[in-house]
Amino acid sequence: MTASLMALVGRFGVTAPAWLWLLPLALLPLAASAQTRIPVPSLALVPADGLSRLVDAVLTLAGMAAIGLLILALAGPHLLGESLVRTGEGAQISLLIDRSGSMNETFAGRQPLGLEESKAAASRRILEGFVGRRAHDLVAVSAFSTSPMAVLPMTDRHEAVRAAIRAIDRPGLEATNVARGLGLALAQFGPGAPDASRVLLLVSDGAAVIDRRIQPLLREEFAKIHPTLYWLFLRTAGAPGLGDRPAGEDTPQAAPERHLDLFFKSLGVPYRAFEAENARAVEEAIREIDRQERKPISYTERRPQRDLTGYAYGLAALAMGLLLAGKLAETGLATRVAAPRPAASRETRRAA
Amino acid sequence: MIPVPLARLAADTRGRWLVGAFALTALTGVAPHLSVTGQRVEAVVVIDITGSMNTRDERLHGKPVSRLDKAKATLRGLAASLPCGSRLGLGLFAERRTFLLFEPIETCADFAALDGALAGLDWRMGWEGDSRIAAGLFRAIGLAADLHSDLVFVTDGHEAPPLPARGGPAFEGKPGAVRGLIVGAGGHSPSPIPRYDDRGREIGFYGADDVPHENRFGPPPPDAETREGYNPRNAPFGASAAPGQEHLSSVRETYLRGLAAETGLAYAPLDAPGGLVGALTAAATPRTRPVRLDLRPVLGGSALAALLVLFGLLPWHARLRETVSRLRHGA
Repeated sequence: MTASLMALVGRFGVTAPAWLWLLPLALLPLAASAQTRIPVPSLALVPADGLSRLVDAVLTLAGMAAIGLLILALAGPHLLGESLVRTGEGAQISLLIDRSGSMNETFAGRQPLGLEESKAAASRRILEGFVGRRAHDLVAVSAFSTSPMAVLPMTDRHEAVRAAIRAIDRPGLEATNVARGLGLALAQFGPGAPDASRVLLLVSDGAAVIDRRIQPLLREEFAKIHPTLYWLFLRTAGAPGLGDRPAGEDTPQAAPERHLDLFFKSLGVPYRAFEAENARAVEEAIREIDRQERKPISYTERRPQRDLTGYAYGLAALAMGLLLAGKLAETGLATRVAAPRPAASRETRRAA
Repeated sequence: MIPVPLARLAADTRGRWLVGAFALTALTGVAPHLSVTGQRVEAVVVIDITGSMNTRDERLHGKPVSRLDKAKATLRGLAASLPCGSRLGLGLFAERRTFLLFEPIETCADFAALDGALAGLDWRMGWEGDSRIAAGLFRAIGLAADLHSDLVFVTDGHEAPPLPARGGPAFEGKPGAVRGLIVGAGGHSPSPIPRYDDRGREIGFYGADDVPHENRFGPPPPDAETREGYNPRNAPFGASAAPGQEHLSSVRETYLRGLAAETGLAYAPLDAPGGLVGALTAAATPRTRPVRLDLRPVLGGSALAALLVLFGLLPWHARLRETVSRLRHGA
């Protein structure tokens, strides 16, 4: 109980603290009263009266409260927003998107004409639907072509992620340098939430040879972070698939896709490749990933700042209401002598 | 017929002040907000990440930093100080192209993502070493037009390779169709540009022999005939390599101002006092957003003033009068 109260006090804040310098003004009612002054020849005329003292104290306090609360209200009191860590269903997803020039071609390997959709446009459309379908996913976006580009850090703001996904069908750059892209996408997971389900989703339409010198580094990173790896391979019609052995020598240079697949299989992390030759296959793959990756994830829920100004004004009005009641109950000594009321004594006492 | 207590209240000066204060305070609960329209900004920020942006001739918190770091810090400041409802997108410029990272997102709700993305910018994201500013700027303008947003183009104006003698590419768009800012990064005295090896490690600075100082595409400049070893067919640019300062870099403010004038954008230096908010708001397309104007401070302030009159001024005044009268009557 006290702990939660302390937490509440700890979250209290004001927007314009300078106003609080005026708070000593709340002491004014100690020196003066809102009641009408009635001259009395001598205080000794008035008998000491407990009730009068009480009313006096209440009215003084009400005056102090009214001034103090108004000053507080002007300072803009609020409870600071807080972030609560909760557990939901979702995953940490690091999206790694190929932005090489070929992504702007269709699945048939040519420039899109009329209603045809480029590979980039198809992945944009489908990924846009995928992100945001699950409320508690954390998503990071990276892109790669010649060099890796950190687009967005891990975030739960799906609107921002969709803005980044909307950018992927803009004209891409030249080459496909998947190794450095993978390194960046792994770095996007960061140190937090080691229990969460981590997903690395690589969307590309081709592959490149991963430098032999970089391979052990990547292997090490994969072992450390241990993400589930999905490769959404947007296969251009007629291009060799992941399982096809090249006719000649089976080297990474001759069949980079096949050898990237082999490299992924050798990583020791859960891995699945989806070969999509059209938009529908992409959609099915995404649905499959959606189904697989549902584990508890801790996410932060933000509680916005709560404005307490209204309450301060309300309480100030209440205090002023008390003062008003005091005023309304006022009776003069001279005019109302004919109708003696117990209230008379308290007012006279106060009037002194 | 007004009840007696109310009538008495109205007749009494103190009563009137108290009723006034109470009424003003009560009003704060009734009409707390008034909607007016305010300004917001929607812009895509394109930032130059070419080599010359690594030059350490900017200062941040009293320490020398690279132009890129300074630009990142300034842009993060910009994102933090734009009014809510503003939207910023982010793109990169290198070679002659712009590469959009994300479309404009809200600067308040998506602040963490925007701030993180700005913080994560690195020259290593660049895809080629050239820095053809004018061409990149024109593409960035096209990109901004496509997104129906304004443009903030952050660069030092250092064209690499240098522009040919006949000048840079001409702007083919409509000047002023896209509004926004060109932000000039860098100091005014030429500084050396750091050089990196192919693994991204710094290995010193560019020397005079490492960069071309003259663009030899296109026709030679008119003064070529006076150069040593000039031959109209074999050596139209002269026989010796042109000397130059292209290995040193400073902000090419005149050039950038010229580009700004040509394209109808405004120019602002990166280290403008007070950040870029003022310059951007002035240059940006006016976009309105509903802003709620809080009337409560006015009402509450008046109520407080009334209470202070009631508890401070009136009693003090009364006491003063009493003292004066007492003195006068020699009591």
